[in-house]
Amino acid sequence: MTTPALEALDATQPDAARATPGLARRTLAVFARNKLALAGALVLLALLAFCFLGPLLHPTDQIHTDLSQAGLAPGAGHPLGTTDLGYDLLGRLMYGGRTSLEVGLAAGLLATLFGTLYGAVAGYFGGWVDAAMMRVTDAALAIPALFLLVVVAAIVTPSKPVLILIIASVAWLSPARLIRGEALALRGRDYIHAMRLMGGGGGRAVFRHIVPNAIGTVIVNATFQVADAILYVAYLSFLGLSIPPPAADWGSMLSTGITYTQVGYWWLIFPPGIAIVLVVAAFNFIGDGLRDALDVRLKNN
Amino acid sequence: MIHFLAKRIAQALVVLLLVSVIVFVLLHLLPGGPARAILGVQATPEAIAHFNHQQGYDRSLPEQYAMYLGRLLSGDLGESYKLNQSVASLLGERLPKTALLAGLALALAALLAVPLGILQALRRGKAADYVLTGAAFLAYATPVFFLGLVLILVFSQQLPLLPAEAPQADTVGGLLADLPALVLPVVTTALGIVAAFSRYMRSAVLDNLGEEYVRTARAKGQSEARIMARHVLRNALIPLATLLGLYLPTLFSGTLVVESMFNYPGMGLLFWNAAQGSDFPVLLGVTLVVGVATVLGSLITDIAYAVLDPRIRSVT
Amino acid sequence: MTDSLLRIDDLHVEIAGRGRTVHALDGIDLDLAPGEALGIVGESGCGKTMTALSVLGLLPHGGKVTGGRILFDGTDLAAAPEPVLRNVRGNTVGMVFQDPLTSLNPTLTIGAQVAEPLLLHTRLTRAEAWAKAEETLRLVGMPRPAERLRNYPHQLSGGMRQRVAIAMALICEPRLLIADEPTTALDVTTQHQILELIDELRARLGMAMILVTHDLGVIARRVDRVAVMYGGRIAERAAVRPLFATPRHRYTQALFAALPELPRPPLGGSAPVTGADRPLATIPGLPPSLVTRPTGCRFAPRCGFATDICHAAEPELTDGLDDTPPAAGAHAFACFHPTDPAPGAEPAAEILPPAPARLPVRTDEPLLRLADVSKTYPLHGGPFARRKGAAEVSAVAGISLTVRRGETFGIVGESGCGKSTLGRMAVGLEAPTGGSVHFGGRDLATLTKRELRAHRRDVQLMFQDSYAAMDPRMRVGAVLREPLVIQGIGDRAERRRRIDGLLDDVGLPRGAVDRYPHEFSGGQRQRLGLARALALTPSLVVADEPVSALDVSVQAQILNLMRELQREKGLSYLVISHDLAVVRHLADSVGVMYLGKLVETGPAEQVFARPLHPYTRGLLDTVNAPDPDAAQAGSPLGGETPSAADPPSGCRFRTRCPAATGLCATTEPPPAEPETPGHRVACHFPLTAGAVSTG
Repeated sequence: MTTPALEALDATQPDAARATPGLARRTLAVFARNKLALAGALVLLALLAFCFLGPLLHPTDQIHTDLSQAGLAPGAGHPLGTTDLGYDLLGRLMYGGRTSLEVGLAAGLLATLFGTLYGAVAGYFGGWVDAAMMRVTDAALAIPALFLLVVVAAIVTPSKPVLILIIASVAWLSPARLIRGEALALRGRDYIHAMRLMGGGGGRAVFRHIVPNAIGTVIVNATFQVADAILYVAYLSFLGLSIPPPAADWGSMLSTGITYTQVGYWWLIFPPGIAIVLVVAAFNFIGDGLRDALDVRLKNN
Repeated sequence: MIHFLAKRIAQALVVLLLVSVIVFVLLHLLPGGPARAILGVQATPEAIAHFNHQQGYDRSLPEQYAMYLGRLLSGDLGESYKLNQSVASLLGERLPKTALLAGLALALAALLAVPLGILQALRRGKAADYVLTGAAFLAYATPVFFLGLVLILVFSQQLPLLPAEAPQADTVGGLLADLPALVLPVVTTALGIVAAFSRYMRSAVLDNLGEEYVRTARAKGQSEARIMARHVLRNALIPLATLLGLYLPTLFSGTLVVESMFNYPGMGLLFWNAAQGSDFPVLLGVTLVVGVATVLGSLITDIAYAVLDPRIRSVT
Repeated sequence: MTDSLLRIDDLHVEIAGRGRTVHALDGIDLDLAPGEALGIVGESGCGKTMTALSVLGLLPHGGKVTGGRILFDGTDLAAAPEPVLRNVRGNTVGMVFQDPLTSLNPTLTIGAQVAEPLLLHTRLTRAEAWAKAEETLRLVGMPRPAERLRNYPHQLSGGMRQRVAIAMALICEPRLLIADEPTTALDVTTQHQILELIDELRARLGMAMILVTHDLGVIARRVDRVAVMYGGRIAERAAVRPLFATPRHRYTQALFAALPELPRPPLGGSAPVTGADRPLATIPGLPPSLVTRPTGCRFAPRCGFATDICHAAEPELTDGLDDTPPAAGAHAFACFHPTDPAPGAEPAAEILPPAPARLPVRTDEPLLRLADVSKTYPLHGGPFARRKGAAEVSAVAGISLTVRRGETFGIVGESGCGKSTLGRMAVGLEAPTGGSVHFGGRDLATLTKRELRAHRRDVQLMFQDSYAAMDPRMRVGAVLREPLVIQGIGDRAERRRRIDGLLDDVGLPRGAVDRYPHEFSGGQRQRLGLARALALTPSLVVADEPVSALDVSVQAQILNLMRELQREKGLSYLVISHDLAVVRHLADSVGVMYLGKLVETGPAEQVFARPLHPYTRGLLDTVNAPDPDAAQAGSPLGGETPSAADPPSGCRFRTRCPAATGLCATTEPPPAEPETPGHRVACHFPLTAGAVSTG
């Protein structure tokens, strides 16, 4: 062996002798350094705790109306006041938040799952299959999501599971298009060519190389999908087409509030509105942080 | 470019056809089919059968689709259940008003987003950039209706400067005559998309500032302001055309919410009322028109892009 | 010196970014007289480009001058306010950048861009400026300049774009032209045309010039003086002849020795060595990162002559005679242990690796045979593309060649000649649209799926960019294990052993298995790429531009490694490169490609020594020998390569051939062996000994 031995890989790194930490750990480390993303994760945790654990500390009746308590401003007993039908608003915020979060999470994840499969199939097969599958998504995307949602919601009366299905049936389109592009790009990478030259087949290409390399995009997109789904729930409720009362969610609460702007029931509007903004922003921050983290870990710092 | 155009137009035609298929499918998902929807819940089975035969709803689906497509092409979108008027004539009244709202909002959004994006790019990593980035994220997360409510509370309740209801006029000219009443609906719609546009402008300007041709311009002695105006903006604004096309669906969704909030007499309000009253011909008619408008809109923006960018323009 | 046009004194530049600061320049002194040409050479990251950019205040984002002066015509540009700088830029100092595609604005016309400096620095009207732009385009050799004014950059070829960039830099008739790697992005024949143009314009306009390059060959005959940079400092500066004849700094010496293709010995006086049989001198390790300022000589960690003082103290520039700072024109170097300038005092053996290379065992057994192989692509993608008569690109057109077991076959050609496509067909990554590929006597097209899978063990590809060819999510261990897993070779322990063996073979530490590809330098990645290609113990490795992305010193490491492994393992190589020197260094047989055709093929010595095809001749004449005294050889090629979508009739080279006649336009020349058997040429008028020289 006459080749000159190389220096240590990078002598400036203190841990040059140790193995490089795995991808998952490095992703987490980069994510944790992103303050906005971390803040988003904390806000999300706080909101989840508020909606699902809050009723233990602040139990209220969210089924029966109590007109004697209607339209009270925030004060003792009702920290955020009461609604036009006498529900305690703080309790209702927790109760409605559960619907928003549950439906949003379930619909967002379902849409991501289906969209990813659809996009991966189109991108992997390419050619005519891809062209046909993509024209279908083009057409469906041409009709604005909200219009489709409204038509479907007007045809069927939503319950929670139905609402999840309706939203997912519209929301899968954009991840499908995204993942298809990703699969198409990955298919042409040199490392796929190298693997084929070793005698590897399509299965190995998809499961060992394409899927692991696309998974980051899928995860990031999932967070944005959940954020979008929560917004869709709110829009549908706002337009009066969501789960009928006494069920509630943040969108329908806002919709009620709009009727009372003239009389100055401001507490009916700001708490649910701010809750929606917070949860959607939190998911967006998390997604952005994840995207940076997944991107950075493949580069030299 | 002819090759590009031919391909793009063929694609748009296929998509248009598929949009009509989707609306046709929705029509058949209606509870009890179109007959029950039109004749009402009390209709006898005989009456329904008669209606179905008369309208051709008892034939095979491909045949029905062919008939449906034929009616569409002759401009027949059916009759409203509630308004005693043809859907086509309703749309003819409402479409221009929604186009006005969307057009004004789009113009306002671009007017705000372009300078904001440039400002952020130039102040990258400074306080102004962080503040505007934070604001953009919040705007992203804010549902249009909440934004509208806040604007109403502030500008029409607390400070009674602007009316909370859109102008109620039959013509576009009439709407324009009552400008103060237009302000809140247009601003609300515009703010819904301005965040996305300014984010795009920020990154496009930053990308272009990093390009080597900018260094070449500096090496010629060009000033920073002229480099921005003459070199960078030209390259950053051309792709904005495609972005406009991509945001058409979002824009239409925005007008739907804004029109129903501000009682603006456009297509969105028509649609919302139809949804409340299960007026299915109107619902599907509006859906179809919005879909077609989106396809044509993005076709136009793509063509504009090809015409504006010399790299595409000169390729055969 | 009072008569200098540009004088740089103790210049320091730092570039801040991502929480760390790079000390890019650390005390640079340079001096340039009016009309003088200075070359700045060095490897990537040495600070040569930063020096050029700092003159015009064009440092990248985060970069700033932290000390020193840049006196241009009496004004300190380092301290000058922006308006003063703007008045200099493009006016009295013009600048040309490396990549002519990205350095022009894609959405402005050529005319607008060329006329821009005039509108900024003179009172000419727009019409007058455009007229001057047309005149300047004519000056830089642009055909039909009036038409070109209305074109956009993408409508021109790379060479023409660089002419536009030069026109832009010269339109205000500057006193100094700064050219930063002006020809690196161009093909050899175009490179030559552009360098000639710059030379001619400089003489005509009496400008001074700074030519920044990594290529010693480019600088040899184009400048008066040279500065060699290393690690943000000047290692050596001298007039061009003394520098090339007797380099004093150990880094300069090593750099010359690492160059492949030396028709003459690296140091004056030693015995001649032929390029192909000598292993290249290598410089181990990597250049310093400059994030922390190194103590001592920056080259010391890689220098075979370094002693304690080199690691402890930073050597200052000296002329080696006394302790006073050297005069601007003197031969100065910053080295504690300089070479001895006396003739014959530096025996080549001292810097060359000791083991003399033994030639690999060559046999006559054909391993890979391409028979009349062609590849055409449809010009437009999409469903209608395969329609009859649709436009096609003829990337490879009827190539036949044989690679014998144990030999290295080199393919040379300029970009777009189809050489990479040929390589992809040779490994079976793409199927030919005509002809056949035979390996070990069997036609690849007839293999069953199972046989094809087994065949993969025999032929492997070494990629130009090994990083792109490795899954970024896999550790190196998994990357090297993958071929073994796919082919079902060995158990866990056996695979582990083989991977360790592969890493030993390519000179990487075994600990590399736990790291990710992104943690390695360019040269190390090419080693990894080679290791993976060898994992299946193939008999043929196709190497597509194996070293074109690497610096000279690292390039030598890889080329030596390839040769060494060939000897040890009895490999055959098909090496594809645009670089004649690389092919000359590695190859036993050579094929020269032009526009999809193999124009000449034969034993390497013969093809390089006695080329028969005018194109080969032209290519060899355009090579920039790293020798200031090399005579301007023959007739370098003019013109540009036509499009492969519409190749010329008959002989594809005829549009650029000095000897072309009517026959060449009508009849495609058949391959023939006019002089020696095995040396084939496809030309109606080959440059045989009997033929009249066309030079």
